[in-house]
Amino acid sequence: MKLTHLLKTTVAAGALLGAQAAYADVTFGALYPFSGQLALLGEESARGLELAVDEINAAGGVQGEQVVLERGDAVDNNQAIGEARRLISREGVKAIFGTYSSSRSIAASQVAELSGIPYFELGAVADEVTGRGLKYLFRVNPTAEDMAATIIDMIVDKVGPMNDKAPEDLKIGIIYEDSSYGTSVSGHEQAMAKEAGLNVVTSQAYPASTVDLSSVVLDLKQRGVDVVLQTSYQNDSVLFLQQAHEAGFQPLAIIGGGGGYSTQPTADAVGHDIIDGVLDTDFTQYIVNKDFTPGIDDFLAAYDAKYGGEPRSGHSLTNYVGAMAILTALNEADGFEPDTIIETVSAIDIPEGTTAAGYGVKFGENNQNERARMMGLQWQDGKLVTVYPDDAAAAEMRIKN
Amino acid sequence: MDVFLQVVVNGLLLGGLFAITSVGLTLIFGIVKVVNFAHGEFLMIGMYATFLITTRLGMHPYAAVAAVVPLLFVLGMMTQKFLIEPLMSARNHDIQIFATVGLSTALINLALLLFGADIATTPAYGLRTAVEVGPVRMLVGQIVMFGVAAALVIGLHLFLQRTQAGRGIRAVAQNRAAAQLMGINVSRVYMITFGLGAACVGLAATLVAPLYPTSPGIGTYFVLTAFVVVVLGGLGSIGGAFLGAMIIGLIDSLAGFYIGSDMREVAVFGVFLLILILRPQGLFGGRQTLSHVS
Repeated sequence: MKLTHLLKTTVAAGALLGAQAAYADVTFGALYPFSGQLALLGEESARGLELAVDEINAAGGVQGEQVVLERGDAVDNNQAIGEARRLISREGVKAIFGTYSSSRSIAASQVAELSGIPYFELGAVADEVTGRGLKYLFRVNPTAEDMAATIIDMIVDKVGPMNDKAPEDLKIGIIYEDSSYGTSVSGHEQAMAKEAGLNVVTSQAYPASTVDLSSVVLDLKQRGVDVVLQTSYQNDSVLFLQQAHEAGFQPLAIIGGGGGYSTQPTADAVGHDIIDGVLDTDFTQYIVNKDFTPGIDDFLAAYDAKYGGEPRSGHSLTNYVGAMAILTALNEADGFEPDTIIETVSAIDIPEGTTAAGYGVKFGENNQNERARMMGLQWQDGKLVTVYPDDAAAAEMRIKN
Repeated sequence: MDVFLQVVVNGLLLGGLFAITSVGLTLIFGIVKVVNFAHGEFLMIGMYATFLITTRLGMHPYAAVAAVVPLLFVLGMMTQKFLIEPLMSARNHDIQIFATVGLSTALINLALLLFGADIATTPAYGLRTAVEVGPVRMLVGQIVMFGVAAALVIGLHLFLQRTQAGRGIRAVAQNRAAAQLMGINVSRVYMITFGLGAACVGLAATLVAPLYPTSPGIGTYFVLTAFVVVVLGGLGSIGGAFLGAMIIGLIDSLAGFYIGSDMREVAVFGVFLLILILRPQGLFGGRQTLSHVS
């Protein structure tokens, strides 16, 4: 049944693309993992870009030309490179948008750089994406470093004061899965925690495919850790939260770094009563102060009209906001020459509190959006609610006990 | 002292998990002598089947045994009959390995298509409840798993030692050509053994599903340890696999707590290599050969 549905949507999408192509004047690449392990959130990310394109086209397109997206399936790193080549040389795209996965982004943007085609990263968080100093790569979304910054700020501003503890009295335990994602976020956490005067008592890596974290839980419990920071995927998030609960380990706060902590199935698997009060940091989610994120309701309405239902994560919103910023700016430019594009985009200056994701857009060093930031979230009654910073918060942060 | 006890108990319970997920592999790897890389995906299929049965029919995961074990038995027999057997006559036996790798990838992607990449949670029916015995905490589901693993090992051992079919299986494992000359239908023995191995995985799946969320990639979480356990115990030795699982579980738990979780795999694989250097045939391995003919 799912398969037929899939086929229908594919055929419908194909028909739609074909219909648009007749009026098409400017083509951009949409490079995401549409199949394979990362397909779920890859597809979710691409929807944000598609909604932005729909909105722009409905308003007259970019420089009077309708925008058409040519999809590339970045199922693995090699294919990301192959698809980037195809988009650039065969389809003649003027720019590529992507990519959700950091490793795919790093691989594909290399190709775009060599060809001198602008590459707009809307969702990958690894430091290296912009850290390589590429000329044609711009990143709109917040990064692993922004994630760590929000976590540490949240501890100092909220978790400490709410529990009547000075930052240096809090014992922090950092645990992370040992691939580049966990390693980079936890690396920033350690450095920033030290700067903020927090007392990090342990920092431990484990393989994401582990089936047992009981020794880690026991170790944290023995050390009397007050705040646990975990950077993890889905299975290991579920495993840690369950095993901590079962071992009777109740720290003042558990703070996750995106990934597994932000999805509804994680909450359902762990149990809504057990995950209640757990903190998280991630892209802007949907239960947020809507005065801080103007346009988010329109986004949700457009999403529901096109795909039916609610977004499955914040990825679509983040990609939508990034794509809107770029496409709106390109509308003011004169032509689609690569150098014109990057000159126009470099001049973008959108203040905070005026986009649907809350943060503003201004590209700084290495073409990273220096106004991008992550939000602090908390599981409250089975829902992921924005609680930090205050101007974006939809509810007060709760403490246990 | 209390903490040490807890760490040891955690290790033994983890050993129970490793044992139940590797017993099937030791039959297939030790007797059919096929390195079955799709072993983890058999587990994944069993877990999804358990998930569907519990959520759609509202049944207890343990009641799913009645459906999942036969399902996996048939799946195992079919894999042997239609995938492995045609390749047995190939000149290079590595081809079978690539066939099972292909099967593994195909099954993972099939699951992605059918269920999506998200996790699916089997209702726990109280199996995640912690019970306290003295200073030690453990989960109901873990205790059951440990007990079933021990019972399965004893049962399989008796089956292989005492029954005619079991003797046939061991004869084929020892020398395929000679067994054939003695009138044993080797092709049928392989099918039954592969089916039995897969059925054990099915049993494991019903026990694992309430404790771990299911996802298309879940098999990869267990398969490497299963191979380690089987090689450590000695190819085809059921009791060896059980002992191997306990050793790996204990080292994992002790090293994770006393050395640090970053060093767990170093400790586990370090001991694994050490034992293999000292005893290349594994703890309980006899003088078996990996050749299909001799």
